[in-house]
Amino acid sequence: MFEQFTDVVPSFFGWLNQGPMTLTIFLHTIIVLPMIWIYKQEKARLEQEG
Amino acid sequence: MANKSVWSDNRFWQRSAAWVTGFAAVLLIWLTFDTMGQISMGTDADLQSGVTKRVPGPTVINYKISYEMSTKRGLEVPVIGEKEKFFGRDDYSEKEARALLHLGKLGSQAKNCMNCHTLLGNGAYYAPDLTKAWLDPAWQDGGTMQAMTGKSTKEEAMAEFLQHPSTYPTHSRMMPNLGITAEEAKGLVAFLKHMSSIDTNGFPRNFGRMQGAVNGK
Repeated sequence: MFEQFTDVVPSFFGWLNQGPMTLTIFLHTIIVLPMIWIYKQEKARLEQEG
Repeated sequence: MANKSVWSDNRFWQRSAAWVTGFAAVLLIWLTFDTMGQISMGTDADLQSGVTKRVPGPTVINYKISYEMSTKRGLEVPVIGEKEKFFGRDDYSEKEARALLHLGKLGSQAKNCMNCHTLLGNGAYYAPDLTKAWLDPAWQDGGTMQAMTGKSTKEEAMAEFLQHPSTYPTHSRMMPNLGITAEEAKGLVAFLKHMSSIDTNGFPRNFGRMQGAVNGK
């Protein structure tokens, strides 16, 4: 999952881009997870209103 | 309205959009500052103390540059070696080297090298890629270009060629005479030498140095 850092200049994004844990997967995860949380909140609200 | 779907609820989409927009804005600002660190030029002190920078300081022209396979990174990286004479000197100060590179950069823009060549991924592929031209074996000791121009060093051969390109038959697409002066040629060669020392993650993969490549294509 995490591979040895091989980039020239150390950087958080460089570290994230080294192995299969790519920037794209990380960013999609971080964007989608709060949306699931928002979904659940809104669902609870709608059920309460209903 | 007991069974109203969340997917058709406005508030869900509004909140999601607000989250994505806000997160993307923060991320882009962060990435901008992260990139600044990656592309900022090193200094003479960095070179002397062996600090690796993606873009080394201008005094890198005082050093020998080689291109070596890094098994760790899986690509070729420029390696800055011991001191090497550049037009008879290896003691260019940071100010002198910077001025020389600046002259070369302005020269490359004034003569529109990118109209035919590629520099760091920008330009055309009518003529050979110049990103790593300094490392092309044709210019090295024993290479064809030194013999053709009658010069004994790489930089002098390059400078001579740049001043009289149409004299030397290098390729079916011959370089035209651009009226480059001796001083401009010196700047351009310094500019090319510095460019070859930039770590470009192995780009371009296929230039004159590679086996099987013909005339730098």
